[in-house]
Amino acid sequence: MKTISLSGLLILFILIGCEDMVEVDRQSYVIAVGIDVTDQDGIYAFTYQIANPEAGSTLAGIGAEQIPDETITVFGTDIMTATNTANSFVTKQIILDQTRVLIVSEALARSDQFLRIMQSTARTTEIRRSIQIIVSKENASDFINNNSPVLEQRPHKYYQYMLSRAKETGIIPDADLHRFFQITEGDADLFLGIYATTTYDPKELDGSEDEFVAGQVPKEGGNVTQFMGSAVFKEGIMIDRLTGEETRICNILDKTMNINEMLANYPDPLAPEYQVATDVFQTDNPKVNLNYDSEMNHATIDVTVPFEVKILAIPSLIHYSQNEDFKRTLRDAIEQYITDATDELIKKSQEAYRSDPFYWSIYIRRHFKDIPAYEEGDWHKNIYPNADITVNYQLKRLHFGKMLDDTKLDEVRD
Amino acid sequence: MKVDRRLSSFEMFTLTSILIGIKLTDTTPSLFSQKAQNAFWYIPLLAFICILPAFLVLLYLLYKHNAKHFVHLFELLLGQGLGKSLAFIIFILSFVMIALDSRNYVEQIKILYFQRSSILIIFVLFGSVCIFGAIRGIEVVGYTTRIFWPFIRISFFILAALIFESVVWQRIFPIFGAGVPVILEEGVSKGSLFLDFFLLTMAFSAFRKPSQFIKGGLIGLIFSIAEITFFFFLYTTVFDYNSIEKISFPFHEVTQYVNLGDFFTNIETFFMVFWLLATFLRFILLLYLITWLFGAIFNIDEFELLLLPMGFFLMVIGLLPDNAVVTELIYRNKLLNIITPVIALVPFLLLLIHFFKRKKDLT
Repeated sequence: MKTISLSGLLILFILIGCEDMVEVDRQSYVIAVGIDVTDQDGIYAFTYQIANPEAGSTLAGIGAEQIPDETITVFGTDIMTATNTANSFVTKQIILDQTRVLIVSEALARSDQFLRIMQSTARTTEIRRSIQIIVSKENASDFINNNSPVLEQRPHKYYQYMLSRAKETGIIPDADLHRFFQITEGDADLFLGIYATTTYDPKELDGSEDEFVAGQVPKEGGNVTQFMGSAVFKEGIMIDRLTGEETRICNILDKTMNINEMLANYPDPLAPEYQVATDVFQTDNPKVNLNYDSEMNHATIDVTVPFEVKILAIPSLIHYSQNEDFKRTLRDAIEQYITDATDELIKKSQEAYRSDPFYWSIYIRRHFKDIPAYEEGDWHKNIYPNADITVNYQLKRLHFGKMLDDTKLDEVRD
Repeated sequence: MKVDRRLSSFEMFTLTSILIGIKLTDTTPSLFSQKAQNAFWYIPLLAFICILPAFLVLLYLLYKHNAKHFVHLFELLLGQGLGKSLAFIIFILSFVMIALDSRNYVEQIKILYFQRSSILIIFVLFGSVCIFGAIRGIEVVGYTTRIFWPFIRISFFILAALIFESVVWQRIFPIFGAGVPVILEEGVSKGSLFLDFFLLTMAFSAFRKPSQFIKGGLIGLIFSIAEITFFFFLYTTVFDYNSIEKISFPFHEVTQYVNLGDFFTNIETFFMVFWLLATFLRFILLLYLITWLFGAIFNIDEFELLLLPMGFFLMVIGLLPDNAVVTELIYRNKLLNIITPVIALVPFLLLLIHFFKRKKDLT
C-alpha cells in the first residue's frame, strides 16, 4: 500500500512538469514577422511567415508536393495579441521561438510609432535578441509574399544564409535587436538596419558594383528579393538610407562590425575607362584616436584603417604588378578613392544626420568621469557634428593573386 | 572502511562558491545598475572590501572560542538572553531574504521556461525538491555540491566564451558610472550580498577542522567575487548602461542571445540545466542553514524535522509579493540595505566584548 501511494505521489510530481508541454506537431513556427502601419493609429498589420517543417525533409516522400511556408496577415496592437488573433484561422499554436527576422516597412520605420512597437517586441519572452531587423521598401506583407527563393525553399535556411553571406561581404550591416536597443537607448549614434526590397527599379549601369540600395541592383533571373544597403535610424526613427558602398564604409570604420572580405571595383588610375577589380580585406580593427577638449567640448578624431588588397582583374591589361611606379599609382588611387568616399559619408553624417553611424561614441566615453557629465557633453548633438575628423587608409599589402602578369596586349595583337 | 562523514575545505570552497557565485544569474546585476549605471560591475568588489573585515573578525572569534556556530558564539559572549535575541533578529532578516530570493528564482523559471504553469505549482515543486534535498543533511549537500560544482562552472565558462565576441570593452567608460558618491554609497550598502556566508558559519562544526572551514571559505569568497565581477563586467560591456537597467535577467538574456555557430542556434536550455542545478543546491543549503539557525536559537536538537514547516513558510512568504519587479526593486533592495549594517557591525561588537572579557579574566 505504502509503495503504491508513494509511487502515485512520485508520478504526480513528474507529471506536473507536463503542464507547459506542447507537442512539436501542434506548433506553428514563425520564421519571419512583418509589421506594417494601417490607417488607424496604434493598430498594425502583422504578417507571419509560417514554416512547414515537412517541406524539404527527406521523410516527406517524393509524391506529395509540400509547400514550404504559409503567409498570413492579421491586425492588432502588438505581436502577442496578434498571434492570438491569428489562431482564429491558423490550426496550431503560433510559436515565435524560431523567428529569424523582423521585417518592417519603410513607412512604419519612418514614423514615430516604430520605437513603440519595438519596445513591445523586446518584452516578449519568446523573441530573441539575435533577430535581425530588415526594413523593406514596400509593405512588409508584400515583401514576404513576393519573396520566393528557388534554391533555398525552406524559409529559415533562406534568411540565415542570405543574411550571413550578405553580411560577410559588408553590403548590409549587422542589425540585430540587441544592437538596435544598445544604440537607440544609448542615444548617441545611428543604428543601421538592413535595407531590402522585392520591387525592381534598376539603376543605370556605371561600372561600380556597390553604389546601389536594394532594388536597384541590375540583374536577370534569380529571386526578386534584394538585400542591399541600410536604413539609417536616428533615435528610433528612420531618417535616410545608405547605399551598399556607404554601408561597407560604415562596417569598416566600426570596430564592432566584422566583415571578412569584400569585392570592390575601383577606377583604373591609368586607364579611367576601365575598372580594377579587387578583393579588399581588413586585417585589423580601425584605430580610432580621439582627442577631446573638455573646455571647448570639441573633439578631434584620427582614424587609421589598415587594409590589404588582392587584385582580381585588370581589364585594362596595364602591367601594374611589375612596374613600381604603376604599382604606387594604383596604391595611391585605391587609397584616395576610399578616402574620398569616406570623407563624403562623414560629411553627410555630420551635416545632414548630425550623428555618426560608426559607433564612435564608445571612444569619447573614457574622457568623461561619470555618466551625467557624459550625457551633458552630448556626443551626437554637440561633439560629433562639430568634430574634426581625418580618416587615413593604409594599404598594407597589395597582392596580385596567382598570375604574375596579364596577357601582353600589344604582343597578342601585333 | 571508515568514512569520515565530516566536510573538508574543498567542499567548503564549493559551498561558498554556489551560495555566493550564483547571484550573478539573478536580478542582482539589474538591481545594482539602477543607481550605479555602467559602474555596477565593480560594486560587488566594493561591497566585499567593506564586509571582509567583519567576516574575518567573525571567523577569528569562532576559531578562538571554539564555538559550534555563530549562535553559540553569541551566547558565549553576550549571555544567553541577549545572544539568542540577536540571533533571532538575524534569523528574521535572513528568513525574509531567503523567501524573497526564492520567489525571484521561481519567477525566473516561470517567465523564461514555463510560461503557462502557475507560480504556485512551480513554487511547490521547487520547495519540495529543496526540502527533500535538505533532509539528507549537510554532508550529503556538501558532497553533491562538490560533484556538480565543476559542471556548473564549466557551463558558465562556456557561456562567457560564447558571449565574448559581443563585448565592447569601451562601454565600461565613463569609469565612475553615475558618479563617485553614488557608487560608494551603493557599494557600502550592498554588503548584505554576502549574508549567505554569514549563515554558512552555522556549519562551522560540520567540518573536520575549523581551519578547513576558514581556508575553504575565504578562497571560496575570493573566487566567487572574482567570478561575479567578471560576469558583471561582461553584462556591462555587452548590454551598455541604458539597456541593463531595463533587463530583469541579464544572464538569461545572454543565454538566449548566444549561438554556437550557424547550426546550434537556440541553446539556452543547455545552460538552463546547470543553472537549475545550481539553484536547487543553493536553496537546499539555505533552507538547511536557516532551519539549523532556528533550531539553535530555540534549543531544538532534532531540527531536521522542522525542514518541512520551514520550507512551507518560506514558500508562503515568497508568494506574497505581486510580481518580480516589486520583489526586486522595492522589498529586496530595502532588505539588502537593512541587513548590511547588521552583519557588518555585529562581529565588531562581539570583538569588543571579547577583548573586554579577556581583560576581566586576566585581572
